[in-house]
Amino acid sequence: MIEKSHIDHLVSLLGPECATTDQDRIAPLLREWRDKYFGHTQLLLTPNSAEQLSDALRYCNAHGVAVVPQGGNTGLVGAGLPGLANRDEVLISTQRMNKVLDVCPNDYSITVEAGVTIKEIQQSAETADRLFPLSLASEGSCTAGGTIATNAGGVHVIRYGSMQALTMGVEAVLADGTIYSDLSPLRKDNTGYKLSSLFAGSEGTLGIITKATLKLYPPERHRITTWIAIDDINSALNILEKLRDVTADRVSVFEIMPHSGLELVLRHIPSTLPPFPGKEFPWYILAEIGSSIHDPVLEETVEDCLSNMISNNQIADGIIAQSEQQRLELWKLRESLSEAQKHEGGSIKHDISVPVSQVPEFVKTVAPEIEQRWTGSRVIPFGHLGDGNLHFNVMQPSTMDKQAFLANWEEMNRFVHDRVTDFSGSISAEHGIGSMKAQELKRLKPASSLHAMQMIKKALDPNNILNPGALFTRD
Amino acid sequence: MKVMVPVKRVVDYNVKVRVKSDNTGVELANVKMSMNPFDEIAVEEAIRLKEAGKVEEIVVVSIGPKAATETIRTGLAMGADRGILVEHDDEIHPLAVAKILKGIVGEENPDIVLLGKQAIDDDCNQTGQMLAQLLGWAQGTFASKVEAEDGSLNVTREVDGGLETVKLNLPAIVTTDLRLNEPRYASLPNIMKAKRKPIDEKTAADYGVDATPRLKTLKVEEPAAREAGIKVESVDELVGKLKEKGLI
Ligand SMILES: Cc1cc2nc3c(=O)[nH]c(=O)nc-3n(C[C@H](O)[C@H](O)[C@H](O)COP(=O)(O)OP(=O)(O)OC[C@H]3O[C@@H](n4cnc5c(N)ncnc54)[C@H](O)[C@@H]3O)c2cc1C
Repeated sequence: MIEKSHIDHLVSLLGPECATTDQDRIAPLLREWRDKYFGHTQLLLTPNSAEQLSDALRYCNAHGVAVVPQGGNTGLVGAGLPGLANRDEVLISTQRMNKVLDVCPNDYSITVEAGVTIKEIQQSAETADRLFPLSLASEGSCTAGGTIATNAGGVHVIRYGSMQALTMGVEAVLADGTIYSDLSPLRKDNTGYKLSSLFAGSEGTLGIITKATLKLYPPERHRITTWIAIDDINSALNILEKLRDVTADRVSVFEIMPHSGLELVLRHIPSTLPPFPGKEFPWYILAEIGSSIHDPVLEETVEDCLSNMISNNQIADGIIAQSEQQRLELWKLRESLSEAQKHEGGSIKHDISVPVSQVPEFVKTVAPEIEQRWTGSRVIPFGHLGDGNLHFNVMQPSTMDKQAFLANWEEMNRFVHDRVTDFSGSISAEHGIGSMKAQELKRLKPASSLHAMQMIKKALDPNNILNPGALFTRD
Repeated sequence: MKVMVPVKRVVDYNVKVRVKSDNTGVELANVKMSMNPFDEIAVEEAIRLKEAGKVEEIVVVSIGPKAATETIRTGLAMGADRGILVEHDDEIHPLAVAKILKGIVGEENPDIVLLGKQAIDDDCNQTGQMLAQLLGWAQGTFASKVEAEDGSLNVTREVDGGLETVKLNLPAIVTTDLRLNEPRYASLPNIMKAKRKPIDEKTAADYGVDATPRLKTLKVEEPAAREAGIKVESVDELVGKLKEKGLI
């Protein structure tokens, strides 16, 4: 229980608008979308400025009251919920910090408050004839602060980088109430440590981000979207290399999914059409080339490149979307895969990356190992091949009980994570660690890296009040 | 049989169109253009008739700027056999289009002209009907089903309140509605084949047509923006607000 005196003090500090103990108001923020975690707390703070938040944190720090920051609550690793594992934590939501402060087309920059959603940032950029490139399925809800704190990725990383690369500066409130700020559209600034980068992947453990200055790009007014069928996953690397080469590196998207994944989508998701009626191929690639101008020569170049690869049997078949409608249809096949999996029963998920060059070898080696060890399970690896990032999800055997299969979660995670480590990969490519993978991080991250992380944590949050359940295990 | 399919290059259906600052039209510079969706359905239907062995040749025609060649290529990549581009850079209206098409019909002698029921840029819904009148041919508009028989077509039409089936003696005009079919994707091999299919280039003058518009656009404006909604806290407040606005 959080002491009543602390609750009373924080409520009086922020006022009833921005601090509440009303469980009806708090409850919607305590569930995550997969119902995997349920949080609890007695107090919700919704500060509307860094100053207000600073007052609250200074008090919490002085009295050892732990807090958990939350943005859009779309995180997938149980990092944005208070009160997990019976901890007592105040929930601090950025929902009132929801203003776009400045869009500067000439600086190719946008400055926003932390609670603004990625969708709103994209739209503000678009109004100024600019692109904010971060793009992920949760963009309607996830926030600037949350995506920085998890260093979110999505489908455009191959060309524009992940959230860390898109963040030029932040304003954040540190544990002791200090308001740190390096908001600036400067592309070059070598005056010591690049502290804003420290917040990338911090998962709310180093400070609470209140504002951010983010990078914008020229818009992709024209996109060549292609759905490519391949017989051998090795070809994917050649296709990626050729496409990057002939398009002057304008490949914005390079996603992969297996036929088993496409089948699930066509079976469970309404109004989806088979891209190659009557034909099946082991793997499909969704690739997109973006350009700010309409460039028929670029289109021809891509067509020639791909058709040459058909001639030399690297590509089995392919489609190029002829309209935005067709483009959206093809995207739907890729984007509905997570949802389609849910309809099919339980799946054990891994968000992993290996060096791009190692992806085919990893899939060819590890998928059969799993299917052999967990008889009847089906590996459906899909995702951001261009970044070496696969959602290496394992579906339950169709005849097995869902819960019985999911009971293998941790054992299978450990198996996959060991193999990922053998391939010099990462056990969390884009979703983060949270409480879900804290044990695994401890087990597999080099001790020197963990030590450095802990030193930084101690320096910035000596009383361990900022999201104590995330990243590190308790012992 | 031979089918002719006119296809129009229009602002892509999914693009948010913007009115030009001088209110003379909509912004087209650097905007994604695609084949009019109803025309795509017409091309697909023609290809299905060909696949069913009812049709031997499909000719796609576009009247528009040089870039409309790309729209024709899309039709050829879907499976049409050859193209005709009637190059015309300025604004053009349905009657002039219908007259040009009549000229092409005179040279090509198709059995069927399959058109979209309307183009999504000007939404006129006139060209097919005007062409039928100019040629004196039977017409089946807003088709949701087309069946070819010897010397005739059975066309199911989407009309207010239901469906109507008409039998047309050939030659005939058919215009397509949304539910007629799902157009196919253009596959890479077919896109490559399409590059080698012939496209003839013509002008309105070749058919003796004066394409000067007879209508003048006075002004183009954005529709009034929708007012933002409000959130109410309770049922009572909702009822109160509705009463206030005189809605209940
Ligand atoms: C359908 C779906 C698809 C997704 N797809 C992708 C994907 O393609 N790529 C990808 O990378 N991720 C993806 N994610 C997960 C991704 O991590 C989140 O969508 C996003 O990054 C989290 O943002 P949020 O605002 O919802 O943060 P929350 O979930 O609220 O919080 C996430 C973490 O950030 C911390 N945090 C939140 N706000 C702040 C702040 N202001 N200051 C400091 N810390 C803060 C929280 O404490 C927590 O640790 C997906 C999630 C869903 C539900």
